[in-house]
Amino acid sequence: MSFLLKYKQLEEKCEIPNENYTIRDLLDEMELSPQTVVSKQNGELVIEDTVIEDGDEIQLVQIIYGG
Amino acid sequence: MQCSKCGNPKVIYKREQSGQLLCQDCFIESIEKKVIKTIKNEKLLDKGDKVLVALSGGKDSVTTLEILNSFRKMQVIDICAVTVDEGIANYRQEGVDIAKRHAERLGIEHKVVSLKEDYGITLDEIMEKENHRGSCTYCGVFRRTIINKAAREMGATKIATGHNLDDEVQAIMMNYLEGNTGNLTKLGAKTESKAEEFTVKIKPLREIPEREIGLYVVAKDLEVHFDSCPYAMQSFRGEVSEVINQLAEKHPTIKYSTLRGYDKIKNTLKKEMQKEYAHGRCKRCGEPASNELCKACFFLEELGL
Ligand code: SF4
Ligand SMILES: [Zn+2]
Ligand SMILES: [Zn+2]
Repeated sequence: MSFLLKYKQLEEKCEIPNENYTIRDLLDEMELSPQTVVSKQNGELVIEDTVIEDGDEIQLVQIIYGG
Repeated sequence: MQCSKCGNPKVIYKREQSGQLLCQDCFIESIEKKVIKTIKNEKLLDKGDKVLVALSGGKDSVTTLEILNSFRKMQVIDICAVTVDEGIANYRQEGVDIAKRHAERLGIEHKVVSLKEDYGITLDEIMEKENHRGSCTYCGVFRRTIINKAAREMGATKIATGHNLDDEVQAIMMNYLEGNTGNLTKLGAKTESKAEEFTVKIKPLREIPEREIGLYVVAKDLEVHFDSCPYAMQSFRGEVSEVINQLAEKHPTIKYSTLRGYDKIKNTLKKEMQKEYAHGRCKRCGEPASNELCKACFFLEELGL
């Protein structure tokens, strides 16, 4: 059970650690604030409560930068 | 889960302040409607205006251009744009290129003005000098001067900037916390100066949270420059912004209530606190100035230029 994570230059295959693992959980782990990032699942915008499924491509776009 | 407006199950956004759920199309429509409402309620546009958009290529200015362009398509206004190139290596060029592509795509008059051309020095070079001030202080002053000049040269009747809800609330709180009542009188959706040389400035995105603008450009697939300036660092504005965002987590309407509260006291503030406009001219460049030199020339002389 894995998904492809795309974030800035990063493109990495990640394991899904548990059932009902959401994008919000992923953001927490990466220490990213849901306030500064928007998320796409397989190319479509989704909310953070979306559960990541096996084979998903999850792209995170940082939209707010400090300063 | 489904869109509160049309029932589409593909929800892309939850508005914390209202609990509203929105699909992509309804989200885009809600942003555009809200901006148009601000424009109408605050009377930001008059028929026949030529609006100069201060276009950095970032999300806020690109969204401003995109939505104002709907008024241009209806032939209510004309639009032109200016991009200021401060001369920040590895940062500004991409924004400039993106700005150019948007101007070309829409077929609008566009001009790129660099600090180097206008003042003979880049921001990077200023920051290498001894005893320099904070980078954002120079940026703010030079950018404002360049945009005001461009507005006159291009015959613009209004200048539109991309200030969003977060920017405006930060400015209200910062000026309040610093006791800067003079600057507090200058905020608002439309800032007018009594001096003819200053074009009226409008902020169409003033009621849109920053995050929603970020989501809007991604949802509409608009090309923008997402990056942070190498000089951006811990500033008072950053600290204030952090506190406000922290408060907003538990109190999701706080940014709107701060804005509404300010708008209620604004006229009184202006009447009581607004400083007399200085009618002087800068003896070095001829721009309007309250002292012998305008701010830009004052900084130049301070840098020995
Ligand atoms: S963050 Fe960078 S681009 Fe923005 S005002 Fe400061 S120095 Fe200028
Ligand atoms: Zn909908
Ligand atoms: Zn001057």
